[in-house]
Amino acid sequence: MFDFLKPSKGKRSFLHKQVSTHSNLQKKMSADDVLDSDLSQNTEILQQVFSQAPDLVIRCFSINASKTDAALVYLPGLTNKDAIQNHVLKPLMSSSFELDKELPITIGDVEVVETWGQVESAILGGDSVLLINGQNTGYRLDTKGWPQREVSDPQNEISLKGAHQGFVETGTQNIALIRRYIPHHELMLKEMTIGLRGKTKVSLLYLRDVASDDVLRELETRIQNITVDAIINTGELIEFIEDNPYSPFPQIMLTERPDTAVSHILQGRFVIVLDRSPSVLIAPTNFMSFFQAVDDYGTRWLLSTFIRVSRFLAFIITLFFPASYVAFISYNFEVIPMELLLSIAESRIQVPFAPVLEAVIMETILELMREAALRLPTPIGQTIGIVGGIIIGQAAVAVGIVSNIMIIVVAVTAIASYNIPNYDMSSAIRLLRFPMMLAAAMFGVVGIVIGWMTIVGHLVSLESLGTPYGTPLAPFRFADMKDAFLRFPLWTMKSRPKGTGAIPTIRQGRNRTKR
Amino acid sequence: MKKYAFNEITVMQYIFLINGAQVGTGVLSLPRILAEKAGTDGWIAIIIGWLCSVSASIFLVKAAAKYPEDTLYEILIRFFGKILGKVLISVYMVYFAFSAWTILVNACLYIKAWFLPKTPEYIVLLLFSIPTFVIARNGLRVLGRYSELSFYMVIWIPLFLLIPLKDGNWLHFLPLLKEGWRPVLSAVPTTVTSFLGFEVAFFFYPFLQKKQHAVLGITIANTLTILFYVFVTFVCYAYFSPDGIIEFNQPVLNLLKLIEFRFLERFDMVLLAVYLIVVSTAWIPYVYLAPFCFSQLLGKQDHSNYVIILLLIIIGMVFWLDPTWNDSEGWQKMVVKGGLGLAFVAPPFLWVYSWIYEKFRRRVSH
Repeated sequence: MFDFLKPSKGKRSFLHKQVSTHSNLQKKMSADDVLDSDLSQNTEILQQVFSQAPDLVIRCFSINASKTDAALVYLPGLTNKDAIQNHVLKPLMSSSFELDKELPITIGDVEVVETWGQVESAILGGDSVLLINGQNTGYRLDTKGWPQREVSDPQNEISLKGAHQGFVETGTQNIALIRRYIPHHELMLKEMTIGLRGKTKVSLLYLRDVASDDVLRELETRIQNITVDAIINTGELIEFIEDNPYSPFPQIMLTERPDTAVSHILQGRFVIVLDRSPSVLIAPTNFMSFFQAVDDYGTRWLLSTFIRVSRFLAFIITLFFPASYVAFISYNFEVIPMELLLSIAESRIQVPFAPVLEAVIMETILELMREAALRLPTPIGQTIGIVGGIIIGQAAVAVGIVSNIMIIVVAVTAIASYNIPNYDMSSAIRLLRFPMMLAAAMFGVVGIVIGWMTIVGHLVSLESLGTPYGTPLAPFRFADMKDAFLRFPLWTMKSRPKGTGAIPTIRQGRNRTKR
Repeated sequence: MKKYAFNEITVMQYIFLINGAQVGTGVLSLPRILAEKAGTDGWIAIIIGWLCSVSASIFLVKAAAKYPEDTLYEILIRFFGKILGKVLISVYMVYFAFSAWTILVNACLYIKAWFLPKTPEYIVLLLFSIPTFVIARNGLRVLGRYSELSFYMVIWIPLFLLIPLKDGNWLHFLPLLKEGWRPVLSAVPTTVTSFLGFEVAFFFYPFLQKKQHAVLGITIANTLTILFYVFVTFVCYAYFSPDGIIEFNQPVLNLLKLIEFRFLERFDMVLLAVYLIVVSTAWIPYVYLAPFCFSQLLGKQDHSNYVIILLLIIIGMVFWLDPTWNDSEGWQKMVVKGGLGLAFVAPPFLWVYSWIYEKFRRRVSH
C-alpha cells in the first residue's frame, strides 16, 4: 500500500502513496497532491489510503445551517473522544452559522490542510481532519488523546529531596515539565524529526545566551545525520550520536528527573527530549557529572560533600577491591600481614578453585542475581534475595566452594557499585572490574596498575560532543572543581562550569556576603 | 591561522608533560650515585644541575619562540634546507625512539626484579604497551591530559617518604661542604643528566595555548623536578648513614621497605607498582614523539600506525636481545650523551643560528 522512497533517492521525508490497481481511481496519488472539492471523491481516496486500517472512523454528517455534507476523519485510539464529540461534532451539528465565516469549533489548534500528505500525517499523529463538501481544503483539528501515563514519581532515580514528578512518554509534556522550572524567553527549543517510519520528534532545549554554539551545531548535525526506520528509546539515540561508541563509559547522560535536566540546562548543557521516551538526554557530560545527584544540592553542603567523596570511594572499591583480593592472595601475599594471611588461608583451605576463578564465579553469580531481580515481578523478586543471601551465600561457604572472605568481597563490591547514582556509569564500572580481575590474576599488582593506566588513558582521550571528558581534572579547571569531589556551598559557585563549553556567564551574584 | 587548534595544551599540561618526561626510574638510584661522588653534599649538586637545566630550558624556549607556530621539523627545514633538515630531524627521531627504548627496558627490569621475576621481558613490555598505545595514538592534547591526571594521582607518594624521616639524623648533613666544592662539582654532570627530558618541550611549544607563559612553565616543571629530587635525596641522607647509603643499589626502595602498617606489610610493593604511573609519563612522550617525527618526515598526518610499529619493534628487540641491567646501563649512557647534545647544545646553537639567519635573510631581501 505505502511505498517508501528509498533513502538513496535523496528525498526522505515524504511518502509515496499508490492507490491499489483494482480501485476505480486508476491514477497514482502522491503526498503533494491536493484535496478534491468533491467530498465523496475525497472519502473514497481516504478509504483507499487507509484500506488496511479498519479502525479509521469517517463520520459523515451534514452541517446544521447550510445542510452541507461534511466528514470528520480520525483514528479513535489516538484521539480524545470528548473533544471530538463536544467540541467538534456538537457545535457543527447543532449551532447555526455561515460556511464562509469561521467554523464554531471550540478547539485551540486548528489548521488548514491542503495536501494528502498533510491529511495523512495529521490522522496518524492523533489529530482529526474535517472535510467539507465543496471545499478543496480540510481542517486539521488538534484532538490528540492517546493513552498516557500520569506524571508520577521517577522509578529509577530515587531522590529524597527532589521533586516527585518524573518524565512521561509524551514529548510535549516533558518539555512542559522543564519549562515550569525555567519560564524564560532564552530557553530555546529546536525541533527535529528523525526516523523514516517512526517520525520521532526530537527537541533540543538549551539556554541561548549560555550554551555553546559549537556544541549546538555539532549536536544538530549529528542528530540530522541519522537515517533509520525509527528510534524507539533514548538509548538508541545515544548510540547514534555519542563520540566513541566503543567505549564502556557513557558519554551522554540519561535522566528521568525534570529537576536534574533543568539543573544541567542552567549549567549550560543541552537537554534532548525524545518523544515517546520517559527519559531525556543530557549532553555534553564529563566523568564527574555522573557522580552528581540532585540530592547533593538539596542537603547541607558538608553532608553532601561527604556523600560525594564516598561515591568516589565506591568507584575505587568496585573497580579495585575484587582485583586487589585476587592480586594479594595469589601473587603479592607478602603485602598482607602474617596473621591476616593465616586467617584468610584458613578460610580458603577447603576451596578448590584458584582465587581468580573463585572471584569471577562469585561476581558472575552476583551479576546473574542482579539481572534476575531486575526482570522479575516485584513480589517474586524478593525471593532472589533469599535465594542469593541464604542459599548461595551460606550454603556455598558451608560446603566449601567459596571462602567467607570472598563473600565479603563480593558483598562490599555490590553495595559499593550501587552507590554510584547513574545506572550507566555504575554498570560500566561493574563491567570493567572483570578485566581488572583477570589482569590481577595474570600480573598481580602490576596488572592492576596497568589496567588503571589504560582506563585513565582512555578516559582522558574521550570527548563528549567535542568537550573533554576528563575535565575538571584533566584539563584542570579550578572553578569547576568546586562541584567535583567536594560540593562547595552553593553561593561559592559563582560561575557556570567551563567544561561544558558554556559561555562563562556569572551564575549568581554575591549572595551571603555581609551577615 | 592556528595549525594546531584541536591539539592545544594548557600551561599546566605543558608543565606536567615536561616534569613527567624528566622524572623516571633514575631518581631511585640518584641518592646513591650522588653519595658516591659528593657524600652528603650531593644535594647541592642537584641545585647546580637545576640551574644548568633551567638556563638551557630558557634558551630552548627562546629558540622555539622565534617561529612560534612551527614545529622543530619546520624550523630545521627552514634553517638547513630540506635534506639536512630531514637528516637532523631523523637524529631527533632516533634519539626519541632510543630514549623510549631505554626507559621501557629499565622499567621492565624493575618490574621483573620486584614483581614478576619469572615473566619473560617481552610479556612485560607487551603489558606496558597497552596503555602506551591507548594514549600515544591520540594527539598531544590527550598526552597532556594524561600527564596532568597522573601527576595528581601520584602526588601523595612523597608523603610516605616522610614516615622514615622520624628516625632520620640531621647531623649527617653537617658540616656543609666538608670536602670543599670539588666533589660537589664532580657530581654535577650526573645531576644535569637527571634533568634530561625537557628537550621534549621543543616539540610541544607550538601546541602551547598561552605562549607567553612558556618560560615560566618550563621553569616550574624543572623546579617541580628538583623539589622531588632534593626531597628524596634529603630523606635518604637523613635516614642512611653517609657510608651505608653506598651499599644499597636503589636506596629509595630500601627506604620504602621500612614503611609498614598493621594491616599492610611491605607497603613498598604497592608504592612501587603505583610508581609505574610516574615512569609511564616518562616513556609515553618519547613513544609519541618518535612516530610523530617519523610521520612528519613522510608528510603524513596520522602517526598512530607508527606508534604500533615502534612498540612492536621494541617488543621484538627485547625478545631478541634479552636485556640485562648492565646492557640497560650502557644504553642509558648513550642516551645521556645524545640527550646532552640535543638538550643543552642544540637549543643555544639554534638560537644563535636563528639570529644569524634572520640577519642574513634580511640583508638578502633588502
